Amino acid sequence: MKPKASSRATITMMAAAVAVLSVWSHPASAQVAGQWKDPNHVYAKICSNCHDIGVGPVIKGRNLDPDYYFQVVRHGMRAMPAFRPTDVDDAMLHRLAETLSKSAPPGGPK
Amino acid sequence: MSSKYIALPKGVSEKSFDAAIKEYRAVLGEANVFTDSEHLASYSKIMIPDITENHTPSAAICPASVEEVQACVAICNKYKVPVWPISTGRNLGYGSAAPCSRGQVVMDLRRMNKIIEVDAELGTALVEPGVTFQQLYDYLQEHKIPLWLSCPAPSAIAGPLGNAVDRGVGYTPYGEHFMFSCGMEVVMPTGEVLKTGMGSLPNSNTAQVFKWGYGPYLDGIFTQSNYGIVTKMGFWLMPAPPAFKPYVIRYPEETDIVDIVETLRPLRMAMIIPNAVVIVHALWELGSFLKRSEHYPGTGTIPDSVVKDLVKKHKVGMWNVYCGLYGSPEQNEVNWNIIQNVVKASGKGELLTAEQVGDDPVFKYRADLMQGKMNTAEFGLYNWRGGGGSAWFAPVSQARGSETLKQMDMAKRILGKYGFDYVSEFIVGWRDMHHIVDLLYDRTDPAQLEAARACFDELLTEFSKAGYGTYRVNTAFMDKVADTYGPVKREINRKIKRALDPNGIIAPGKSGIWN
Ligand SMILES: Cc1cc2nc3c(=O)[nH]c(=O)nc-3n(C[C@H](O)[C@H](O)[C@H](O)COP(=O)(O)OP(=O)(O)OC[C@H]3O[C@@H](n4cnc5c(N)ncnc54)[C@H](O)[C@@H]3O)c2cc1C
Ligand code: HEC
Repeated sequence: MKPKASSRATITMMAAAVAVLSVWSHPASAQVAGQWKDPNHVYAKICSNCHDIGVGPVIKGRNLDPDYYFQVVRHGMRAMPAFRPTDVDDAMLHRLAETLSKSAPPGGPK
Repeated sequence: MSSKYIALPKGVSEKSFDAAIKEYRAVLGEANVFTDSEHLASYSKIMIPDITENHTPSAAICPASVEEVQACVAICNKYKVPVWPISTGRNLGYGSAAPCSRGQVVMDLRRMNKIIEVDAELGTALVEPGVTFQQLYDYLQEHKIPLWLSCPAPSAIAGPLGNAVDRGVGYTPYGEHFMFSCGMEVVMPTGEVLKTGMGSLPNSNTAQVFKWGYGPYLDGIFTQSNYGIVTKMGFWLMPAPPAFKPYVIRYPEETDIVDIVETLRPLRMAMIIPNAVVIVHALWELGSFLKRSEHYPGTGTIPDSVVKDLVKKHKVGMWNVYCGLYGSPEQNEVNWNIIQNVVKASGKGELLTAEQVGDDPVFKYRADLMQGKMNTAEFGLYNWRGGGGSAWFAPVSQARGSETLKQMDMAKRILGKYGFDYVSEFIVGWRDMHHIVDLLYDRTDPAQLEAARACFDELLTEFSKAGYGTYRVNTAFMDKVADTYGPVKREINRKIKRALDPNGIIAPGKSGIWN
């Protein structure tokens, strides 16, 4: 739902809304080890929550070592929670680490 | 004694554990059983004031289906191996994903992440333990289903099932999450699968719409407990209101807490304020975006005078009350007028809307949480002191001004003795409040860790002496809190445990319940 009150569904519309929806691991809302589309998907759904709003430091475009990313994510780091192999498996975490290591700084060249 | 394991379950020999691990691997596959320190690190990191070694797991097992959970439970019974179930495992500040005692095997249910059903007409959802709020949120968006979630502040990275079975809270009108759950599926310690409420009736289609079923209502005994492993849970979701209007009321003095509660309680009880409102102390408000060391060089409790200056400088209240209006624009207009008049008549408090507040990240995160949107800005609190130490102290209070003042004074006095800050909020229920204090400390400093442990212990002792119980506690203090509720309750919990789980394999020690 868009946050604009005016464009939001009214109660009447809702009553006429969709019938029961049944899904088994729907791709776009699949967000667990083995289901991520690519490293950017992981970044968008997990890391960016904290790292793009100033809770954690910027982690793009800093030429950090891929292994450092890997270690911080698995072990956590002080205020940062650890993420488990069921959140992101080793293979995807390596890809994420490589991607972030080579990334441009936010707002910088794409 | 060297072992190939980083820890062993209590009373289980290495040889026996080898056999159990081999059987878990046969059921789950090599890739879903972890015993190495590298992978187990992610199950061991804690923020609570206790040493990590007391909570080191021996292994993590990660089933992907109810059948796999059952098979694992059978192996646990065979070898008397204790398992600590987690869902999304983000119980940060309450014990994270780590077990309450050393050597328990973590059963990580994160891979079970099916959204089994969302009924857009009835506003219900049935989900597995590994579903995150983000996943469910994206699902609703994608299918344009006009239903809202209610989530705790870690939103995106936590999950509805794990949060509700620990009786967590959110900030919408559905903020008391267990109250808005409806129907569970539970793998019992014997391996049987129990569906609670209407769900146990074959072919029933009312499991997610009627909570009580027939006979004793059982769902409650599977919350904050170790009587079973919850593998599915139903929830009621709130119809998206046609209009939502968040607002904040700021108060200048700490003692204003009395008037705040007395002014708001009638509005809350009459549901003119329908949501789980928060009354946020200045240090929580400021702590979510400031670093303490940049504003106060000392190591002890930040003085009231410094807090006052910061309040002025950053134009926040000493208390900040976040509420929302949910309804049609006309309904909201009527209620807005009532609220304006009540606040005006009380002679205190500055009432501000989103437009008046402008671009304020704290207001934005509160507004997001009040409409069940993903926003993890509250983790900013961990930068206030830094060092990753956090323990939620969570006594329950009556929604009565004199009581909240008394609790505030007690908490401040005890925190002050140990050099910690009163970083707090009150989450308002219908007649109660969850008084939430984040005991923030630097976990990298052993002296602070020890001080935090002692401080938390004294908070529990003093509050329970005064008749105040806590609604939930971290894994280092579960026995202590169980004692505060008295011997009869504790013994009955144990009798139920023995009857349902004779081998004591599920989460021994959870909420102070042992066999
Ligand atoms: C900054 C910050 C803000 C927070 N704000 C809030 C808040 O607003 N409201 C709130 O409630 N909490 C809050 N918390 C605490 C905590 O992070 C949340 O409650 C979170 O939802 C719990 O993690 P989870 O949902 O992943 O549940 P889990 O960690 O998966 O589960 C919690 C516990 O429930 C039990 N359990 C889990 N799954 C099962 C199962 N399937 N069967 C049986 N038992 C099970 C286990 O004992 C487990 O430890 C906050 C934490 C932080 C760091
Ligand atoms: C809940 C918030 C949160 C999430 C989600 C999160 N982080 Fe962090 N992260 C932090 C915080 C806070 C710090 C700083 C910790 C400290 O210094 O105490 C941090 C630190 C880091 C660091 C170290 C940066 C440095 O300057 O040395 C890396 C690397 C990192 N995070 C990577 C990640 C990745 C990759 C993800 C996604 C898989 C992620 N984080 C998800 C909060 C988060």
